[in-house]
Amino acid sequence: MTKRSSQVLMAEGLARTEQVTAAVEACYDALAVDDSEPVAHCLLAHLLLEGDFYDEAIAEATKAIELDPDCSPAYLALGLAYDRRGGMWDQSVLVWHELAEVVPDLVTAHVQLGEAFGAAQFEEEAIDSWKCALELDPKEPRAIYNLAIAALKREGMATALPGFRKAGELDPSQDDLFFALLGIKSVSDRPVDPAKVREDRSSRLGAAALAARADDLFVTAELVRMVLDEDPDDADALALAAFAYLKQEATNEAMACALRAIALKPDLATALYTLGVVYSRRAGLSKHAARVFIVFTRAASQHALAHVLLAESLLGLQRYGQAKKAYRVAIRLDPACVRARFGLAAVHLTEGLHAEADWEVRRAAYYDTRRQGSFWRLYDHYSEGGAS
Amino acid sequence: MGIEDAHRLYEAFVEQDPAEAIRVVEDVRASGVAQAQLFDTLYVPAMALLGGAWASGEIDEIVFTQASVIAEQIGSFVVPPAARQDTGVTLVIGTMQRDHHTVGKDIIAAALKESGYRVNDLGLDVRPAEFLERIEQTGARIVIVCAEMLSVAHSVVRVREMLTTGGHEDIVVLVAGSPFDADPALARSVGANGVLHGAESALRVVGKAATDLSGGEAS
Repeated sequence: MTKRSSQVLMAEGLARTEQVTAAVEACYDALAVDDSEPVAHCLLAHLLLEGDFYDEAIAEATKAIELDPDCSPAYLALGLAYDRRGGMWDQSVLVWHELAEVVPDLVTAHVQLGEAFGAAQFEEEAIDSWKCALELDPKEPRAIYNLAIAALKREGMATALPGFRKAGELDPSQDDLFFALLGIKSVSDRPVDPAKVREDRSSRLGAAALAARADDLFVTAELVRMVLDEDPDDADALALAAFAYLKQEATNEAMACALRAIALKPDLATALYTLGVVYSRRAGLSKHAARVFIVFTRAASQHALAHVLLAESLLGLQRYGQAKKAYRVAIRLDPACVRARFGLAAVHLTEGLHAEADWEVRRAAYYDTRRQGSFWRLYDHYSEGGAS
Repeated sequence: MGIEDAHRLYEAFVEQDPAEAIRVVEDVRASGVAQAQLFDTLYVPAMALLGGAWASGEIDEIVFTQASVIAEQIGSFVVPPAARQDTGVTLVIGTMQRDHHTVGKDIIAAALKESGYRVNDLGLDVRPAEFLERIEQTGARIVIVCAEMLSVAHSVVRVREMLTTGGHEDIVVLVAGSPFDADPALARSVGANGVLHGAESALRVVGKAATDLSGGEAS
């Protein structure tokens, strides 16, 4: 285990509870006592990065690496500081390359390395890095979005769009949107037992939705069937059935249920969502998808992803200007929406606005790396004495 | 075309009779319904009927799944064609000599191809004479010259001069690239007829140029 002073331990505790100012002070106290502790410099770099003090973060992370070249969390902080600061791509490439060597299974390192290569105009190396990230995690959305952008640059939007959609489908936030429409935020710890659900429509539908959230689609189907046996024209039950079919890749069954639900209740957001997704997956139905998503965005106007789905369907129709507006609405609603940032970057590229496209990709990286919180994983491993 | 056709198609799905389903589609098409309308007017109501039948228990889960398989097979007969129709308009595109920027040109070329234009992409670092040669080979009447550097953008005038020398004064020269975005007067000074500000702009401007060239008949 790496020896840490009491001041560093105190700073750590404060940092973990997001008391950033006090944690920074504790780091400086620790360094005043002993400025040869790499963990103190590394922790300070992370805190400065959180406050967007990039140059200061670079100085502290560099110091930590000088003191211990195996200090992996310092490489992470240094690479992120270079990338967020911008204009230091050569250094960034070196740092991410180093971190990918030190911690080869760190997906973020490969994604960031790809973006640094891309910013330095090494397109082939960038693509190799994103492919490497996908070998480690086939569902890594940012690697897929970056590959979609690379495809756009080489072969146009028709080739890039499936990449955006694939990344979107793998992204759990798309399911989150559906469940948010039903008022469900998180997965329940307890599995749903159909035998214990009260025998009224509302309880059954609520339990069916909870089961779907937990991917227990058999239970969902059983409860939905109970509701439909009592009222075959229950649009909400049909919409939930449509979603369950969609999750099982049974798109025709999903379409049939969603269309029936919409015939009964034309502005039902959950049914519109599923129908739009089904249409967007089929070649030749971009116009239909856009039509459905236009209605859907009215029904779910406060959900960023609703506008992203609309924007993607507009990209399929080559309506880049309208797609841009929809992406902007999405980003206004959720600045951390990585999918919207990459989509907007794609639109900028179609307009020849390369600097603006790069900016959106960097903002996506900024929010995504903050969300991931990889620093603490590396920090704990390093503090416990691991080589990485 | 009425709801009875949708019922016939639904029955064909449930009876797992793809031949009958195709016959329904052909009958409706023969009655004058355009390919682009078949999905909305025939397939959607039939699928809604299928969903309703499953919900009411009229058909069970197995029949629902089997009917959906038939619906999948029929899908390609009713879905509007994914690719746009060939416009019949041929054009030439390339990045000007001494310029190796490719992204803007590739995105514009791909968007035009996707919209049904016959795109002859000459690639990067294209000499003015190559533009002329390809125009004469293909009979194209629209040429798009891309340039991302100011010094190169000025040299696009050589393309216009080459075309004039070759007796092709009527060729529409369109330019694209950051220098032309920044200075609209630059396009005129190099003899261009218009500026493309990205892919969507390209679709609009090329569409208008094609219409003008054909005397207002083509897109």
